[in-house]
Amino acid sequence: MSNLFFKEKKQWKNVAIEECTSCNLKMKRPFKLGDYIFKEGEKCQKCGSKTLITSIFKEEIK
Amino acid sequence: MQIQILQLFPTDGSSLQEYLSLFFYDLFFVYMIFGQTIQVRRILYGISGSLNRIQIARDKARKEVSDYIQKNGYKGDPSKQIDNFIEYFTLSPVSLDPAGIMKKIEYLVKVRDERMREEVKKMLPDKDHVIISVVENLLGTSMALNFYYKVVRHYYLLGKKTNNLYLLVQLQMILPDLLREVEAEVSSIEPLKNAQPVGDGIGAMVAGKLMLNSEKRVIARDTVMAQVEYKNRNLYVIKAEGPAGNVGEVGTALEYLIKQYGLKPSAIMMIDAAQKLEGEVTGAIAEGIGAIIGGIGVDKYKIEEVASDMKVPLYAIAIMQSLGEAISAMPKEVAEAAPRVQERLSGLIESKTKEGDSVIVIGVGNTLGVGQ
Repeated sequence: MSNLFFKEKKQWKNVAIEECTSCNLKMKRPFKLGDYIFKEGEKCQKCGSKTLITSIFKEEIK
Repeated sequence: MQIQILQLFPTDGSSLQEYLSLFFYDLFFVYMIFGQTIQVRRILYGISGSLNRIQIARDKARKEVSDYIQKNGYKGDPSKQIDNFIEYFTLSPVSLDPAGIMKKIEYLVKVRDERMREEVKKMLPDKDHVIISVVENLLGTSMALNFYYKVVRHYYLLGKKTNNLYLLVQLQMILPDLLREVEAEVSSIEPLKNAQPVGDGIGAMVAGKLMLNSEKRVIARDTVMAQVEYKNRNLYVIKAEGPAGNVGEVGTALEYLIKQYGLKPSAIMMIDAAQKLEGEVTGAIAEGIGAIIGGIGVDKYKIEEVASDMKVPLYAIAIMQSLGEAISAMPKEVAEAAPRVQERLSGLIESKTKEGDSVIVIGVGNTLGVGQ
């Protein structure tokens, strides 16, 4: 939530989870404009196969 | 007599205490006579502060949508068009004879949505459906905030004009909740501009995963369907077409499936975000019976009609979240609930249907930032 009315101490960042379609490795990276869930992601860092964005969410910066 | 009057103002003889005593008596009588006026002034002062905040929120939303349209290539100032949209209204049909009213509501909503889409497309003719849908959603937020502002201002001015304490007290009582809703609307602006998934998209996310490697067909406005095989059952998965910000017409899609495919499903299973109560955990999952879908009621009506006519059980899976979480960027807890929802859905399919059965799965919600 923004802090227009209520004081918000928490800070958030948007992240995307890319999952390798062959080795199932999950990689977390910052969300980029144009990302959407089930869009093809970058190559897998472990096996070089294609990845899929399986989740996009906001999480608290601690 | 003088002694009797003096007894009303007991003093120990000092004049200071006498004056103080008189002062507090005066205060008491003043409050008895002007108390209501004082309270009205105090409440008006409090409400005017909140009204200013709502105005700031409305103006911020209006500016954001204007900037977004200009950023996407609109030449000139879109303020006039935006103001027209913000003040746009839809009249509900006459309900004295309620038979057939759903058809009329559906028609009016369709005309409204199509008109808005056409107008947005006129402003941004070369843009894809994702950007068009983002503008539509941003305009929806601006319209909602403008409505909050106008209603609160109406009761504020009416209370001020008529010095009606009881009207103002009612407004004062609901203002904290109203401000939370306004805050939730404001917090939806940023994820809308980024076209990223919102909490309400969890149903679409689960359905999208189910239909990932299957052929998709558009079977209703902004709504896709895919046939998927799961443990010797035929699943017909329906969701709004992503990654644009739509909720689709899942009720119409269900009717189409039943009529055009001659389908006789064994069960209809729906997945959607549900508003949690205070104290409930975000991302908690609950199962129930019935058509779990929000909106004006047209889709809910259609789904219930199909289910009751065909005597098909309706199962619902709800993912709990607050209003703010449902319309702003999807929280981690909600996103992490997706695999658990899938497990619950699998369990439900296996326990409530047999091999060879047809099952309709509907992922409900705004599919912004969720493909399929």
